Amino acid sequence: MSGGMLYGGDEIGALVFDPGHHSLRVGYAQEDTPKAEIPAVVGVAPDDVKLEPEVKPEDGNVATNQPSYKYYIDTAYLHTPRPNMELHNYMKDGMIENWDLFEKILDYSYEKIIQSESQYHPVLFSESPWNQRQKREKLTEIMFEKYKVPAFFLVKNAALAAFANGRATALVIDSGATHTSAVPVLDGYVISNAVVKSPLGGDYLVLRAREMLEAAGIDLTPASLIASKDVIRDKDKPRFVKKKLSFQTTNSWMSYMIKKTVQDFQQTVLQVAENPYDERQVANIPSVHYEFPTGYHQDFGPERFKLAEGLFDHAMLGAGYIAATSAGMCDVDIRPALYSSVVVTGGNSLVQGFSDRLSRDLSSRSPGSMRLKMIAANGTVERRFGAWVGGSILASIGTFQQMWVSIQEYQEGGKSQIDRKCP
Amino acid sequence: MADVRDIMELERPPTPEITRESILGADKVKKRISTGPKVPKRPEGMHREVYALLYNDTKDAPPLFPTDSIRNNGYKQTKIKLGMRKPRKWAWIPFTNPARTDNATFYHWRRPSDEPKEYPFAKFNKKVDLPSYTDVEYQQHLKCDGWTKEETDHLIDLAQRFDLRFIIMADRYDTEKYSKRSVEDLKDRFYKICGILAKLSGEKKIYTYDAEHERRRKEQLKKLQERKPEQIEEEQFLLGELKKIEARKKERERKTQDLQKLISQADNQNETPRKIDKKLPKKKIANPSRPSRVDTNHILQVIETAGIKFPDYKNSGVSLRSQRMKLPTNLGQKKSKGIEQILQELGLELNPTPTEEVCLHFNELRSDIVLLMEIKAALSTCEFELQSLRHQYEALNPGKTLTIPPQLLSGNSESEIKVASGEIIDVVGSPGTPSNT
Repeated sequence: MSGGMLYGGDEIGALVFDPGHHSLRVGYAQEDTPKAEIPAVVGVAPDDVKLEPEVKPEDGNVATNQPSYKYYIDTAYLHTPRPNMELHNYMKDGMIENWDLFEKILDYSYEKIIQSESQYHPVLFSESPWNQRQKREKLTEIMFEKYKVPAFFLVKNAALAAFANGRATALVIDSGATHTSAVPVLDGYVISNAVVKSPLGGDYLVLRAREMLEAAGIDLTPASLIASKDVIRDKDKPRFVKKKLSFQTTNSWMSYMIKKTVQDFQQTVLQVAENPYDERQVANIPSVHYEFPTGYHQDFGPERFKLAEGLFDHAMLGAGYIAATSAGMCDVDIRPALYSSVVVTGGNSLVQGFSDRLSRDLSSRSPGSMRLKMIAANGTVERRFGAWVGGSILASIGTFQQMWVSIQEYQEGGKSQIDRKCP
Repeated sequence: MADVRDIMELERPPTPEITRESILGADKVKKRISTGPKVPKRPEGMHREVYALLYNDTKDAPPLFPTDSIRNNGYKQTKIKLGMRKPRKWAWIPFTNPARTDNATFYHWRRPSDEPKEYPFAKFNKKVDLPSYTDVEYQQHLKCDGWTKEETDHLIDLAQRFDLRFIIMADRYDTEKYSKRSVEDLKDRFYKICGILAKLSGEKKIYTYDAEHERRRKEQLKKLQERKPEQIEEEQFLLGELKKIEARKKERERKTQDLQKLISQADNQNETPRKIDKKLPKKKIANPSRPSRVDTNHILQVIETAGIKFPDYKNSGVSLRSQRMKLPTNLGQKKSKGIEQILQELGLELNPTPTEEVCLHFNELRSDIVLLMEIKAALSTCEFELQSLRHQYEALNPGKTLTIPPQLLSGNSESEIKVASGEIIDVVGSPGTPSNT
């Protein structure tokens, strides 16, 4: 009741979880940023290998539920090379796939991030708009049975992103790691039959960038394998010393680390051209300098635009196209409302020039008389954690407190009611 | 300001000292401070020499560091006490929400001192009233081709869950069990049920929903929205062209009217070759008492063109017929007042129902009224001129009297009555009226 009736807020110590392909966002409701962003990747290594002296049994991050495996969670532990550590992503297609690993992450979150016991905090989870019924029920079951949460709720992340931008009705363009989706939200309800998604997301850009860099013969050794490096001149062959490791790193770890390296390159260098890619036009724009972990550095000119163009040049999959398609599938009466608040969210939308280009593409596809308004939060945090921020707002609103599925209700009605109670 | 006073060595005005008491507004204490000259007292335990460094007789140097004495807890007091009251405590208190049906308990921060009352947000828990029906009612009244009872129940259930958001209801419709239905289908069925149940419960006002009309409207809206930019451009272009055509048409009409006017003027001139320029009667206004010669031509002309010329409605498009009854704006207030008065005398409505016939006759009638008024005015002008000529004649030929033939004065007795109405239109008073066509 600290906010009082004036702001309509009533904070009840709820937690907000926003699982994504790239990371899981965890934090307390009513805060403006998540407490932690944990990569959606878990390292699994056999327990009997004890070559790493710094990993001690009392190390809290190591959850040892199963005796024969150790689980490595969070950036600092993942980025250290370890023998036989295979990395697994527990997400698939925007939904939780590997529940065992996901539980490990939840254990870690409660223990290390929240540092409080789960039975005291109601939990709000976000989910993708196309989440399946049995997955929702499974998650409900885990939260109530294993974590004994007092109350639980599931909301579509697109609706949360719309809330975070102050809209109840919006066309949410969410460009994340694995895909870009256009989701119409009406009065806080997702219109599930009009959701359109395309597989062009951050990962696709990373893949293209990696192909390009490898074709150019650039060494992508990640920073955690480099012991020292020398300062060299532009485009010179890099001189660096690799760390001496007594073991072979696993393929999954290497590809994850290379992905991280390329991701940094992508976030620093790439830019979406305002107009469809044109070699001559782009040639005039100043190039960007980038140094790789190996010490190699060079200027990147037209490549920046050529790579980023991949997000838009596919006729059927570009962000503007899917947005227009999605709006076109909705009832004609609500289309003006959707077009007048197009919310852009997701980490991949932070690629330079993304929203400008999207706006341009969409206006060329939207009906001429329609008023088009793009809403893209300026801050990096607001854009990357849009759904989490929306969840944080929602869970701390006084009128929302009647919506929770409480543990009493769960015990009476079972998990199947989640589909009814959480639209 | 204080610094400037210091530099100028002016007397410093007694600035009210800001103390705890002054902030809290304890008047009594404040008064005591402001009135009594403050004599700094040597704190107990402070050496006199040290004290002398801080204070001298002139008392001008303010202390540079806190000088609380040891008796008042000295330098040990670290906390500022601003408020007199103790801070009220907050506590993590359980609450139940009456909007919930399960009595689940949540916790939030609240002042324990606050009265525990009903959860304030519970009052926002609003639900729509939905029609309900029993099996019997359904069998008797609500049966409908293409809808089973189960599906109808599903529809009502969805309406309950989504608070009549039909678009969401159509989206979440159970398409596995039932066939897909459009928003209009759902609305149609739902409002029909509402209507039937309302009728059964004896309500008089029953709302109907025209699904076909809705569908057509949406189809049209869709077409409108899905116009391509070229189509919109073409439409704009065509609209522009239409405007141009209209403008040209108007121009042409104006020209033909001008032409007609010229022709009629020419005709008039042929008929009355001695027609005097319109300026002439105006000159006479300057000296109305001495009209130099009898001039009835212009009066006659006035009478010829008198009456109301109602404008023709040539505008394309729809217009109200009552528009045709509107008096032209160039008529003048006096005349329209006169018309009103006569209409009232005749006991007629000022705005009769504008049927075709009424419209025609009413316009004719008013036209005649104006004509009548103008004729009267002209008559009185003529008589006035006649009289003045008679006076002139008598002045020039003293002793002689001009006998005016009685037929010229026929209306004399009558005209006096008419003057009453004439005055209303105020033509008698100003001989300039004849020019007022």
